[in-house]
Amino acid sequence: MTVRALLGLAIGNVIVLGAGGCLLWGAHGLRSWTELARLSGFAYMIGVAGLGVALSLELVVGVPVRLATVVLTCVALALAGLILGRLLGRDAPPLRRRVSFGLGLVSASYGALVAVYVEAVFRAGRLAPLSNYDGWAFWVPKAEAIYFFEGLDEQFFRELANPTYPPLVPALEAAAFHAMGSPDVVTLHVQFWFFLTGFVAAVAGLLAPRVHAALLWPVLLLVLVAPRVVARSLEPQADFMLDYFFALAALLVALWLVERRAWQLNVASLFLAGAMLTKRDGQLLAACVVVAALVASWGARRFAWPRIALAGGCALALAVPWRLWFTSRELHGELPASGFLGPFDHLDRPWPALQSVVRALLDFELWLLVLPLTGLAIALALLAGARVLPLYAALVYGLAVTGFVWVLWSFTQLELPFVQDEGVNPIVRLCGSLVLLSAGLVPLLLDAAWRGGDCAERRR
Amino acid sequence: MSRSDPVVVRVRLSLGRIDPRMEWPRGFVRFGVAAWLAVTVLLGLVYFGRAVDRLGGEATRNATSNFDDRAFGGGNALGVDKEALNEARGWIPARGTYRLLVGPDAADVRNYVRYFLMPRRPDPGAAWVLCYGCDPARLGDELEIVWWDAAGIALGRLPG
Repeated sequence: MTVRALLGLAIGNVIVLGAGGCLLWGAHGLRSWTELARLSGFAYMIGVAGLGVALSLELVVGVPVRLATVVLTCVALALAGLILGRLLGRDAPPLRRRVSFGLGLVSASYGALVAVYVEAVFRAGRLAPLSNYDGWAFWVPKAEAIYFFEGLDEQFFRELANPTYPPLVPALEAAAFHAMGSPDVVTLHVQFWFFLTGFVAAVAGLLAPRVHAALLWPVLLLVLVAPRVVARSLEPQADFMLDYFFALAALLVALWLVERRAWQLNVASLFLAGAMLTKRDGQLLAACVVVAALVASWGARRFAWPRIALAGGCALALAVPWRLWFTSRELHGELPASGFLGPFDHLDRPWPALQSVVRALLDFELWLLVLPLTGLAIALALLAGARVLPLYAALVYGLAVTGFVWVLWSFTQLELPFVQDEGVNPIVRLCGSLVLLSAGLVPLLLDAAWRGGDCAERRR
Repeated sequence: MSRSDPVVVRVRLSLGRIDPRMEWPRGFVRFGVAAWLAVTVLLGLVYFGRAVDRLGGEATRNATSNFDDRAFGGGNALGVDKEALNEARGWIPARGTYRLLVGPDAADVRNYVRYFLMPRRPDPGAAWVLCYGCDPARLGDELEIVWWDAAGIALGRLPG
């Protein structure tokens, strides 16, 4: 709750931004400093994913996680990016290059609204108490265990609820504690404000040169002001972190499907690994992205499928060590107790499960009209003649909804119809991933609809 | 304002781009996109105002709460005894262990105390005992009570 904690947190996040910037330069290259500024949110999120994945792996292999470890990990990530950039022959952004840097009326007005919004979120989170149940019951205690005992303390990670949940968010929270100089659970909310702001800037930075501002900003603002996002995005738990990683990974894969730039798939792989190491639901969502990409690229399968499989495989490989850690300690709870075929003993559950999921997805009080409008955007893009993007989007959303139904169907301890309070309702939490995904995919779909097809999508 | 006025011409041109009577399906789709955007802009602006109001109210509430309310967070909703937990933090060494004795339906209190007393470890054999609504007599005469309150919460230490 002190200025020192805030300052430490700010410095820590600047270091993460630096590491992410180097990784971005290595993977993508930067043509100008203006481009770096535009993609700074994206660079920050790459840094967050890179640091989170690296710290998770270090925890699993037993590296003591201290302040020095966090700083050295950021330095190592930055060096990796710089070396990759040198190997790939990236040029440094020129100091003087004439670039047009102007904001149109729409971008300037909506940019101002989004700035007012994130400032309001900051003020609300700055002195917020840690009230949310999952936060104090296990997410933050896990982070404190890492902070105090410098690793995956056997006792706490066994006794705390949900011991198989991956350690990425607790590791990042522990890094934030180190940056703040103490386990300050109040100022910790500000760390989640950095994540939210980074995500918004990442989506805006990625899409700004690709779609018209009038298609980008209104969608982004609508997602941000959805009541559930307003109320819960700063809670120190993993739900929104998972949503950010999933949405960015799915957006990059969408861009890759129409632009075929290798860096898009490479970075998507990192975000998919981040999603899988954030929550177990991340595995389900990552599978949806990979399967949707495989189907949507059917026409170019010889070229696309090995690359998609490699990207998915790399992400999975980064998530496997955590699975080995918890299975070697005989920790359970990852899958339904009845196993994969058990749900077929409960055939009365799929229909009420589907009703519960659809109700949660369409709840105006939680998400406004984001998901119905997304469905409409997919339909408009299809009608206009686009094929790849709307097919991919429809598959990601469709497979994810099927997955959510499976979750409700197979975890038979959950009563159906599912009317649990939205604060603790796992399906409502899952739905957030699709809502945040809309912030990235819908502008692309509307752009395809307006221009009238997939060909236009390939212009960059 | 005549039909040849540049502003009128621009407006007519813009509207022409979203005319649903244009060639199928282009006109219909563009009209759909425009309608889609109109709904999104309207809804976004209305709820932007509500979101900023709500966040401002939350900021004010958080700013007016005191240090203890912020530090205890979820414990306020559970109704935990703040003084007892602060005493436990003060008496039990930071790297020490403690045993928590609570009633049978107090899983949330158990979880909260574990979170609040970190990095102190819960240990069923620990010398430090936090008796939270339990009967201290069941620990025998050896328990040296160092703090207690009228609500029946006691903190003590067993020899050894």
